[in-house]
Amino acid sequence: MKKIFLRSGLLFLFLVPVASLNAMASGGGVMDRIHDADEPFDSMAIDSAYQLPLKTVRGKEKWQGGQFRVLARKDFINKFRCSVCHTDKKVLVKNAALFTHGDIVMNHGQGDDGLACIQCHDEDNRDFLADSSGKKIDFDHSYQLCGQCHFRQKRDWLGGAHGKRDVYWAGERVIRNCTSCHSPHSPAFKTKMPETYSLPLDQ
Amino acid sequence: MDSRKKEGQMKTIDILEKKTSRRSFMKKLSIAAAAGSAGLVAGGCVGTSESTEEMGLKWEEYFKKNYRMMTPEEKDETVVRLEKLAKLQDGVDIQMSNQEPQEKVLFGYAFNISRCKGYMDCVEACVQENNLDRNSKTQYIRIFEMDSGQQDPTSGDGKYHHEVPVENKYYMGIQCFHCENAPCIRACPTKATWREPDGIVVVDYDWCIGCRYCMAACPFWGRRFNWGKPEVPKEEINTKQHYLGNRKRMKGAMEKCTFCVQRTRQGKLPACADACPTGSRVFGNLLDPDSEIRYVLKHKKVFRFKEELGTDPKFWYFMD
Ligand code: HEC
Ligand code: HEC
Ligand code: HEC
Ligand code: HEC
Repeated sequence: MKKIFLRSGLLFLFLVPVASLNAMASGGGVMDRIHDADEPFDSMAIDSAYQLPLKTVRGKEKWQGGQFRVLARKDFINKFRCSVCHTDKKVLVKNAALFTHGDIVMNHGQGDDGLACIQCHDEDNRDFLADSSGKKIDFDHSYQLCGQCHFRQKRDWLGGAHGKRDVYWAGERVIRNCTSCHSPHSPAFKTKMPETYSLPLDQ
Repeated sequence: MDSRKKEGQMKTIDILEKKTSRRSFMKKLSIAAAAGSAGLVAGGCVGTSESTEEMGLKWEEYFKKNYRMMTPEEKDETVVRLEKLAKLQDGVDIQMSNQEPQEKVLFGYAFNISRCKGYMDCVEACVQENNLDRNSKTQYIRIFEMDSGQQDPTSGDGKYHHEVPVENKYYMGIQCFHCENAPCIRACPTKATWREPDGIVVVDYDWCIGCRYCMAACPFWGRRFNWGKPEVPKEEINTKQHYLGNRKRMKGAMEKCTFCVQRTRQGKLPACADACPTGSRVFGNLLDPDSEIRYVLKHKKVFRFKEELGTDPKFWYFMD
């Protein structure tokens, strides 16, 4: 609630100087140049921007620039493959889930909105995620799951206003997965000490 | 306060000495002054243990042109000389580039003020990448912690050091805005600073006379002056350098953010954007309608700081 309050405060504050691309057109200078540039740039032409030695997968959707790649996730999930344990056999041990997944702290949505495991994990095949229609989703493409509830963030992530590219602005587009940044179970960013500090301004 | 003033005066004298030793100044001055400065050069050579090779290199470096007036061959030559000098003087193997701008590229930057958490990974990455002076703790980027009612960063806290983010605060990063209509460029009496075709505002450190007019002309605190000799521990020197970027600076030279020219002309993101863990920093080609930066300009509420001054910055702020 407080957060929403802060955001609307910001909005109000900047409404005056806010200017959309269109409104700026008359300003001349850089806005004119941007406006006139409507031909896509061949960023593959910059040959020093090459594929990273990181594991990526081809995105299952498109962005305005065509196809793109996403950082793969499975290698970062220690417990993958889940089917090592999650077989057809029933587990009869009491509190087994607590013993094995007790480290998972769920803080994703509050109260009635709080999410349950099976809203994201496939019931029958733990090696997959699943959306509300039951469609299986690969762990490397978890953005498809998140996007089901967070449509706006997903759209901005595709476009480039949420999330980030990895290392290169040119070349084949490689972006971080939702879960490269957010823990799916407790997705809010943590507070921490800053990396460094600055001296007073007049120095 | 007082001692600082004195220090300032002493520095001015240093700078004046440097000024008379600049070739640019010789042209304008009388022969007497020119003779004086020639004496200075000769004097500088006496009593040092420099090798003849080092002296020769320094001599040639001393008489080189403004970077913009150099032929491609001359650019290659100075880069090779500077690599050799780095080896002789500091014992480091650097690779210096003079890579030219790409065609159809105009760099632009957008900063998400509703996403930044004030972690300052960007500031630290910038210091490392650009070989910034560790003595004076020079930083190109400043992050301000702001109340939601504030708009002017000077009324925010630019030197916070506590757990972040703090509730009900937001964070606003400021660095050189690479204005298309840059007042700093016009203020420079020696044409030592200019805008490259890809939009990056750069400094030829060798032609800067340290007058600091550009610093006074910049409304965004975008420039940093070397009051002393910048120091970077040898093992921390970033050896991948660009002539117009993170190469070694000298006492009395102005410097600033170059959008990491040594990285961005190779297709990489600037170090700050690469280091940001929150994705608050969007960088790309303004002339590419498909780029992320163009998406932000088109779909987000954007504004530029002090837009009314007409400097036409290529740095936008936006929020969700
Ligand atoms: C070391 C064995 C082991 C591995 C590996 C493992 N699990 Fe489990 N998991 C269990 C046990 C035991 C239970 C509790 C019994 C049950 O529900 O089958 C459980 C329960 C669960 C539950 C239900 C929890 C609840 O409270 O209802 C989910 C969801 C789950 N696991 C997901 C996963 C996923 C996803 C992976 C792979 C990334 C995984 N598990 C890997 C052993 C394991
Ligand atoms: C919002 C959807 C969502 C919910 C709800 C959710 N998970 Fe997950 N879970 C994921 C995603 C996505 C991953 C893969 C994370 C990654 O890419 O690193 C994951 C990873 C895991 C893993 C492997 C990584 C680890 O931390 O061990 C386990 C085990 C797991 N989930 C169990 C559970 C259990 C048990 C619950 C219920 C208490 C649960 N999940 C609730 C989406 C969810
Ligand atoms: C089934 C719907 C659903 C799915 C799937 C889902 N979320 Fe959420 N998410 C929610 C709800 C509900 C909230 C709470 C909304 C609120 O507080 O406004 C939330 C909140 C969040 C927040 C804000 C947390 C905060 O405290 O500020 C983030 C970040 C987030 N989700 C990320 C993700 C990511 C990443 C995934 C994919 C791994 C995902 N979500 C999948 C429903 C979902
Ligand atoms: C580069 C890291 C990064 C990536 C990748 C990323 N996010 Fe976020 N996201 C953030 C940050 C930082 C915030 C602000 C977090 C906070 O306030 O705790 C945020 C906030 C959110 C929120 C809370 C509402 C809001 O807009 O502030 C949701 C929901 C969310 N992200 C969903 C997603 C989804 C879905 C994806 C993938 C499609 C994704 N994020 C990818 C960094 C990222």
